[in-house]
Amino acid sequence: MDEWKPNPAAKAHKKRSWYLAWKYKLMNQRALRKLCQTGAVLFLLVTVIVNIKLILDTRRAAYEEEEESAQDYDDEMLNVEVPRHPVSNKKVLDVEVYSSRSKVYVAVDGTTVLEDEAREQGRGIHVIVLNQATGHVMAKRVFDTYSPHEDEAMVLFLNMVARGRILIFTIKDEGSFHLKDTAKNVLKSLGSQVAPFLSWRDMWTFAGKKGGEVYGEKHAKSPALSTWGDPVLLKTEVHLTSVEGTSGRCCGPATERTRRRKKFCSKVEGYGSVCSCKDPTPIEFNPDPLKDNKVFDVPVAVIAGNRPNYLYRMLRSLLSAQGVNPQMITVFIDGYYEEPMDVVELFGLSGIQHTPISIKNARVSQHYKASLTATFNLFPDAKFAVVLEEDLDISVDFFSFLSQSIHLLEEDESLYCISAWNDQGYEHTAEDPSLLYRVETMPGLGWVLRKSLYKDELEPKWPTPEKLWDWDMWMRMPEQRRGRECIIPDVSRSYHFGIVGLNMNGYFHEAYFKKHKFNTVPNVQLKNVESLRKDAYETEIHRLLGEAEVLDHSKNPCEDSFVPDTEGKVYVMFIRMEQEADFTTWTQLAKCLHIWDLDVRGNHKGLWRLFRKKNHFLVVGVPASPYSSKKPSSVTPIYMEPPAKEEGAAA
Amino acid sequence: MQRINKNVVLALLSLTSLVFLLFQLYYYKFYLSQKNGSVFSKVRGLQSGQDSTRWHVVRKFLGLISTHNIPVYLIDPLILGLVDKDIEQIRSSPDGPSPECKYFCAPRDFTTFALVDKTWKHEVSLFRAAEKMGFQWLKIINKDPRLDGMDDLSGIEIALHYIFKLASHAIHLVVFYERSGNYLWHGPLRLKQHTDRKFVPFRKLHFGRYAGAYEKPELLLVSIDDLKVQIPKSPSSFLEEMSHSRFLECRYREARAFFQLYPDDASLDAVEFRKKAKSLLHLAALTLNSLGVKFWLSSGTCLGWYRQCNVIPYSKDVDLGVFIKDYKADIIPAFQKAGLPLKHKFGKVEDSLELSFQGDDDVKLDIFFFYEEDDHIWNGGTQAKSGKKFKYLFPKFTLCWTEFIGLKVHVPCETLQYIEANYGPDWKVPLKTWDWKSSPSNVQYNGVWPVNEWDDVIQIY
Repeated sequence: MDEWKPNPAAKAHKKRSWYLAWKYKLMNQRALRKLCQTGAVLFLLVTVIVNIKLILDTRRAAYEEEEESAQDYDDEMLNVEVPRHPVSNKKVLDVEVYSSRSKVYVAVDGTTVLEDEAREQGRGIHVIVLNQATGHVMAKRVFDTYSPHEDEAMVLFLNMVARGRILIFTIKDEGSFHLKDTAKNVLKSLGSQVAPFLSWRDMWTFAGKKGGEVYGEKHAKSPALSTWGDPVLLKTEVHLTSVEGTSGRCCGPATERTRRRKKFCSKVEGYGSVCSCKDPTPIEFNPDPLKDNKVFDVPVAVIAGNRPNYLYRMLRSLLSAQGVNPQMITVFIDGYYEEPMDVVELFGLSGIQHTPISIKNARVSQHYKASLTATFNLFPDAKFAVVLEEDLDISVDFFSFLSQSIHLLEEDESLYCISAWNDQGYEHTAEDPSLLYRVETMPGLGWVLRKSLYKDELEPKWPTPEKLWDWDMWMRMPEQRRGRECIIPDVSRSYHFGIVGLNMNGYFHEAYFKKHKFNTVPNVQLKNVESLRKDAYETEIHRLLGEAEVLDHSKNPCEDSFVPDTEGKVYVMFIRMEQEADFTTWTQLAKCLHIWDLDVRGNHKGLWRLFRKKNHFLVVGVPASPYSSKKPSSVTPIYMEPPAKEEGAAA
Repeated sequence: MQRINKNVVLALLSLTSLVFLLFQLYYYKFYLSQKNGSVFSKVRGLQSGQDSTRWHVVRKFLGLISTHNIPVYLIDPLILGLVDKDIEQIRSSPDGPSPECKYFCAPRDFTTFALVDKTWKHEVSLFRAAEKMGFQWLKIINKDPRLDGMDDLSGIEIALHYIFKLASHAIHLVVFYERSGNYLWHGPLRLKQHTDRKFVPFRKLHFGRYAGAYEKPELLLVSIDDLKVQIPKSPSSFLEEMSHSRFLECRYREARAFFQLYPDDASLDAVEFRKKAKSLLHLAALTLNSLGVKFWLSSGTCLGWYRQCNVIPYSKDVDLGVFIKDYKADIIPAFQKAGLPLKHKFGKVEDSLELSFQGDDDVKLDIFFFYEEDDHIWNGGTQAKSGKKFKYLFPKFTLCWTEFIGLKVHVPCETLQYIEANYGPDWKVPLKTWDWKSSPSNVQYNGVWPVNEWDDVIQIY
């Protein structure tokens, strides 16, 4: 080391000064003495200077090394600390709640925590839950109680909110039409004077503590059926409690799971027993693994918006499905919403937020594109991706179903997708969980996408943001589908529970989704998977038609008696279908059978397969279908006329 | 009087000298203790105590990760270099006890291991166990580059590097991610503001100065110095790969800014062209890689990558560069076999060689051969009808990896200089009309081919 060098010199010097004194005594010669002294002084000076220099040098060297060691490795982006809203120690919050026909807002201490003045959106009762100790927003919901069953959801939600939380209500547009007594009583029990008498187009605001005091309530009655009540503005003060009585609700051993749960429960409200200390709802499920799971390495993309309670329900069912691999799941959230992200983190999954692009359908479509691209980027060696939405329940044998059928998608070029959803699979029209169909329509709602299809065909020409198209409608267009088909099960492996959505409302859901059949049997062994291949399927259909009994075409097909009271038989009926796109009779038949009639779904070359009274029921369109040849010449295809007056479908 | 004065001065100086001496000793000791043995290792590097510390730390680390079932493999260049010398022997006797500590005791500050991200589940328990064993650890996270190219996706940050420190030795665990283009990527090591800059001497790390791209290695389980560890099957080729593994990310942010100014062409023609260009590039890469010919994105294709991270839809061809020293006579037959017939061949191997292959529907693949001079690199051009020669000059460059439309390909590391040489300072402005003889800013007239050579140097099919 360099640092050592001068030291011997310094040591030698001390010796020398002693030696000089000795020499001085000995010789006593003035001139020599003087010379020696000057020399010694000079030498000492040099030593000191060298020493000082050395110290400076080492210090600089050390400093430089320290500087250098990290210079190259500095992150070019300084981590800008996001300024947090200062949590004031104030004990009193000023709360403003506004209710009117076209706008609602809630402001807490001058900060707007809710503002909705969008047209044709956000109708119903808006509910906000505040933490009684900090004043932070823990939940924000809107229940469209103009539509049926939303009040039940609200009651469920209110029951899940912990005691002591601050609840704020406000109505936008209309919130009373389907607000039943049960819900009104719950509101009354919270301290509302007005709730039991809320009526058509009344405006209403209310703030109170669950199981405690009422902070204020305002109400404006609608003077006539055609007009709304006057806007009301409630201004009140809320006293914060010093300690959050419920912060320690999540206890248990200090595991990763407990940590996640604790974090979740300190932030959000409305998830019931997830946050209760005694016997909380599990957040890890450990379903049985699948033997020979062919979809273990297939990434799962969950497409989500801002419906965190839906997402919560969805992820619970997904993580309970046998053969699920949580590591392959990514939740894509459209927008920087916190609560869905909290839900994702509660389950220890990875979530990605997406800045919304465009509006309405195009926004959903852009979100889909970004999510699919990201999925294949994150899992570059995946050949497929499972695409799910946040408002689906996933069947316990979802992955088992895919594992048994996915090889078809890999090998059969004529396939477009595998979907877990049968558009025509209602309680009264689906029967056999082991049965699969080939259909020309793409059902979506839980499906598998081939990477090559996405990368080579769909991604490059995906609708751009300015085109307000539905992604699924676009995918169903002949330019994209190119005659390929999807494989679906008879009994759906997913269940669409979403009531609130872009194209969804309570009526629509009740009419078309509620009675959908959903498989709950684990480990269903699929039947005859190989017969789903392109050519084998034709053989299979011909065999089926060959053994099918022709129904009595003189009867009304809408009547229950049209199908005999048997079980396990195969019946066929023939309807009129002039050309490939002639679905006049089919649509009428679908309507009276109470299955999907808004557009044509579930067909395969002019053939529909469903179940009636536990019998396999085939419908063949004559003469457009190639299976028309199976029609006995004596039978006249049934023709059903559309009603003269067009009924507006509630799509 | 004078004498006393002098004596006093003398004494004072002696005293100062003594004080300085003491201070120096103290300072040196302080400096040493702070360096945490790194100086000692040099001074006493040969002492067995230090050597076995390294071995012990590695052993402890391997024990830790094997109890957590984490499949790491050794990528330490120093040790792999030593291992490579004895590779035959190590391969032939995978279980033999070693007489001396030959590899893991070699003097160094770190031992580097690799981990492929998808092969383990990020577990907090690993770090708890590591702490219990006495390890201090540091995790370096950053943005996920696989989502960087995506509009407005905010991914979670991913772990890029881990450093486990025990006593005077540290384990550097590099996390590799699989990316589109079938390769492994590791990120650069960048310290965030509040990271302890002195945790280890970061500059001495072998990985992390830049991001890197690697092929998926074949692994071999060996026993060296009585430790079972996975190593790349061929350490020498791994080390070779490592020496030029630097990876450049596409400039997604700038590309987005570019598309703000000049919206992307989303017409069907553009979509179709991009699709064809992509498959042509994939085919060309496959063909050249199988021949072992190193190539890079050149001209318009390179500009497309650098400026917009995509194929320029009106560019009408795919351009590649190859150093003339890598030229192989098999190139033409190999492309013909791949279904790409030769369209024209200009120049000869000694001068201005340029090959052009015909892809599907008018999409052309141009391969320009580059000639290295002392202070620049150039490639040539030939005008078919006049036999005129042109020369395009470039400043010297080296090659880096990047990812482009689902491929791991080379680009010049000094991309900006390369592009500015070719397209001038206004390369950011899209030009639809481009004349290869006059538009490039680095073009030089280079005479005319002698007429008797024309048959050879101007071949058009």
